Amino acid sequence: MQINPHRWFGAGQSSAADAAKAGAEAAAEAIGGRDPKAVFVFCSVAYDLPALVAAVRDEAGPDAAIVGSTTMGELGNAGMTVGGVAVAALGGDGFTVHTRVAPIDQHDPRAAGADAAEALRGLHDPNRVLILFCDGMAGRPHEIVRGAYSTAGAAWPLVGGFGADDRHFEKTYQIHGDAVVSESVVALALGSDGPIGIGMAHGWRRTEPPMIVTKSHGAHIYRLDDQPALDVLLRRNNFDGTADEFFDRGRALQPLGLSRRNGEDIRVIHAGDDEERSVWGTADVPQGALVWLMEADRQALIDGATWSCTEAIARLDGLAPLGVLAFDCGGRRAGLVEGGMEEEIDAMRTALGDAPFVGFYTTGEIARVRGASGLHHLTLVTLALA
Amino acid sequence: MLTWSTHLLTEYFTAVNAADDERTAIASAVERATEMVEAEVGAVVREGRVAEAYGFGGMIPEAGLLAVAAGESLLEVADLGELYAVASPLGGENADALIVCRADESFGPEERQMLQGMAQVLGLALRSIRVLAAERHLRAEKERQATTAQTRQRLVESLLTIQRAISGRRPLPEILDAVTSGAAELLDGATVALLLAEGGPDRRLSVASTCGGTDGGPLHESAARAAMSGGAVLIRPDGTGTMIAAPVRVTGEMAGSLVAHLPGGAEQYTEQRDQLAAFAQQVSLALTDARTVEAVREAHHDPITGLPNRALFLKILNRVLASRGTATDPTSVLFIDLDRFKAVNDSLGHEAGDQLLALVARRLRSCVRASDTTARLGGDEFAALLHDSPIGAATIVGERIVASIKEPFRVAGREIFIGASVGVATSREVVERSETLLHNADVAMYRAKKEGPGRVLVYETYMHTEALDHLNLRGDLQRALREGEFRLQYQPLIRLADGVATGVEALIRWHSPTRGFVSPVDFIPIAEEFGLIVDIGQWALETSAVQVARWRRDFPDLGLNVNVSGHQLVHPRFADNVMRALAIAGLPSSAVTLELTESVLMSEPDLGKAALHVLRGLGVQLSIDDFGTGYSSLAYLRELPVDELKIDRAFIARAELTGEDLALVRTIVELAQILGLRTVAEGIENAAQLSALRRLGCGYGQGYHLCRPTDPDELPSRLARALVEDPVG
Repeated sequence: MQINPHRWFGAGQSSAADAAKAGAEAAAEAIGGRDPKAVFVFCSVAYDLPALVAAVRDEAGPDAAIVGSTTMGELGNAGMTVGGVAVAALGGDGFTVHTRVAPIDQHDPRAAGADAAEALRGLHDPNRVLILFCDGMAGRPHEIVRGAYSTAGAAWPLVGGFGADDRHFEKTYQIHGDAVVSESVVALALGSDGPIGIGMAHGWRRTEPPMIVTKSHGAHIYRLDDQPALDVLLRRNNFDGTADEFFDRGRALQPLGLSRRNGEDIRVIHAGDDEERSVWGTADVPQGALVWLMEADRQALIDGATWSCTEAIARLDGLAPLGVLAFDCGGRRAGLVEGGMEEEIDAMRTALGDAPFVGFYTTGEIARVRGASGLHHLTLVTLALA
Repeated sequence: MLTWSTHLLTEYFTAVNAADDERTAIASAVERATEMVEAEVGAVVREGRVAEAYGFGGMIPEAGLLAVAAGESLLEVADLGELYAVASPLGGENADALIVCRADESFGPEERQMLQGMAQVLGLALRSIRVLAAERHLRAEKERQATTAQTRQRLVESLLTIQRAISGRRPLPEILDAVTSGAAELLDGATVALLLAEGGPDRRLSVASTCGGTDGGPLHESAARAAMSGGAVLIRPDGTGTMIAAPVRVTGEMAGSLVAHLPGGAEQYTEQRDQLAAFAQQVSLALTDARTVEAVREAHHDPITGLPNRALFLKILNRVLASRGTATDPTSVLFIDLDRFKAVNDSLGHEAGDQLLALVARRLRSCVRASDTTARLGGDEFAALLHDSPIGAATIVGERIVASIKEPFRVAGREIFIGASVGVATSREVVERSETLLHNADVAMYRAKKEGPGRVLVYETYMHTEALDHLNLRGDLQRALREGEFRLQYQPLIRLADGVATGVEALIRWHSPTRGFVSPVDFIPIAEEFGLIVDIGQWALETSAVQVARWRRDFPDLGLNVNVSGHQLVHPRFADNVMRALAIAGLPSSAVTLELTESVLMSEPDLGKAALHVLRGLGVQLSIDDFGTGYSSLAYLRELPVDELKIDRAFIARAELTGEDLALVRTIVELAQILGLRTVAEGIENAAQLSALRRLGCGYGQGYHLCRPTDPDELPSRLARALVEDPVG
């Protein structure tokens, strides 16, 4: 292995049960004896997180920026893990790294996004990207991303993901330096003298007819077409039973697509209330919106993964990718049950050639390259570095 | 289909009206508008300064935004370059405006109309917030605030009801009833009538819907007319109370008026007047969409050809696919795209184009069985659905169609020659989606078209992979430009009278390390598609200009011909780029001729006209490449500063030119002489062609018989020779 090339990227994974062992194994594989500038850690909430981060620090050395998030599963060249850890590291003179962390105020989530995005300040490299790791349970994720965009502006792309806690939907953690925090936004601004490519794709399609959201508040939908929202979803799925039964029995995923200029903006509905007859997900569904139920088959989802990777690489001005960070929606797993995840990772391996890649399953993906909206769902977002 | 833009309006309306103060209303309007049209940045200019800006990341181009509010259509933004900008007035007295700017694409009419609507909604919200703020100091402040908030919530709710009626495809009368009852409820006990103008010259008003026991009598009608002619909401007392009328527009045209009658004097109804105006504004946008829905629902058939349209075709296809017994019962879909139709439409007019489409439809029907379905998908695209047809049989039908369309059509008193390319897809599986099948046929058609006109190709899975490869090619092209993989060859233009080379045409070549030699025919369209052509074209111009300037030390009169793509022509700095390249090379502008293809000039007649006139004014010459291949009127020869016509090789392709070929070439040469233009014959491949062209008086020629495209280091020795006397190749 070449020691300290101009720009490098490495990936490592571990499923070891012990936090320190898992962190050390994955970090050592990713770092490979080099001096990293940044280390990305994606791991299960089940680990002793401070112990895991300390082990990563031992491998990374005192100067490396460490950032990361807890997940709904991790992925990389070695495959998918649930309850494991995946680490990416990068370094070399061609990269510049700034980080920043901001706590989320429940009444003003946008301020945290705006503050964290200040990490971009002072970067002068020809290519820049802001990578965000946000708490997945803080609510109003659109506002966090809008805040980040208001600071970053249209000149530089945003990518990243909202964290998860396996499948508990209770509390997620972010990693910044040696600290493990919660209800925060962690930003890493990356500058590079090489090109940066971003890809995204989903693979879902509409089922007619559309419905109007006649009453909603935040991520809570009360009425669709002026009928109780839960009743509408149960009827459209020919399901007879309670909300819990419905969302637990393989139909956990009810993607709704909002009409947008270039297709749909997808929201995942994952829970409902039998009393209120309401349903909800993790992101706002505005009152007045026209929405479609979305469906997908496995092949379309896997094609989506290929497209996402190919698109990211196509933006590297013809250079081969050094490595790739992936933000894959936890919800895609529901659409890809029974070996589908392995197929998706296979598709990524093929599309990325031999490039190392590491990522995690999120509760919301961030990617803004053009336009002003940056939050996505059920999408695979890839960030390729050359 | 409902369109995406109107879907977003209620969302926008709800968000903006939820704001309690001006700052929040403005910020939320700017963000929503920017996101909804997928623009990068947005702003509101108010009372001569930038009140809010989004997406600039701290560096707000204040002067540029004010210029946009004043009518400028481009905005320069740091690190982003020039963006397309559109400003929509907020209404009221000042030149206040909502601005959005987008990098990749200018704003279409539908988007502009929606942005207008959004700006007006913001204007109304701001005025109502201001009124509220002023009244806060007056009595009953709190109570009033509460009712205003309630009223706004009611307004939003009744708009949602209307929007639902529209998206639920309810009958139009039901939608209109929702409008009047919504307004009546909003105005608390008012009687409301919606009067709509009928078609026809006198535009009579008729009552489309009423609520609250009015019959929309003459007083209503007179108020409605006054609001329509003034284009603004109107309030006036009548014998029994107060009449408020707000104009309603459909697709931007004045379509009618919403009229409310309330008891008592007019002075107490200022707020109701504003509410009715806001409501009518939203109703206008909703009705625009309702009309569209109606139109689509009633038009399952294309009015021009009488064939089923795309929606109906897909429905039929769905039905056929669902009813198939087994997978061995194949259904085939043909995707048919006409070649050269656009040229006919542009040169002979839309009426002739429509006639031609109707004739094409008739021929298509005669090529298939009575039980098969043909459809017009849109534009010059058709489809055919063949029952129980395996690939072989479907391909034969495709070939029959190609042969049939190739025969001349008689339109507008003349013979028209067009062609067709056909893609075939056959259902392989028991479960097959109609969209997928049609899409596959489309992919195959696209591929057929690429291989040249008049082909029939069957869909293969590799074609899908090709679509992916297409994306990779973009990366390779970027690398080619950066790594210097492009080369130029030069082909002399020979004066036929004495065989002297008077100029050279620069021709681009790409030898890719991974793909080998890639023909310009293959990569130029991709470069155009991804916008790389501007950089590649500029590189070719700069490189060839330097090269020819060097050769001119030995051949002082040598000229340079360079090909220019339509995409370069529309680039805002095209003229500057050309002049800069010539200045750097030290090549006089009079030595340069830009070659544009006839199809570029014809497809967009106004395209880059200004830039061409500027360049012509500076001495650069203009040539029309492949002249004679389009169905062009000669109008552009008069309007554009053309210096040279290049006669397309198709006219002299035969080894021995027939009398008909010669007559065509003679016509072009004579035409050029009358207009005072040079003529260059392309593709001269033998001595017989050369002497025939010379006899016809064609001034210049190019072709293998005269000189092949040559690498730059070998060219000077070729230039030195008297080429016609000693033809190479």
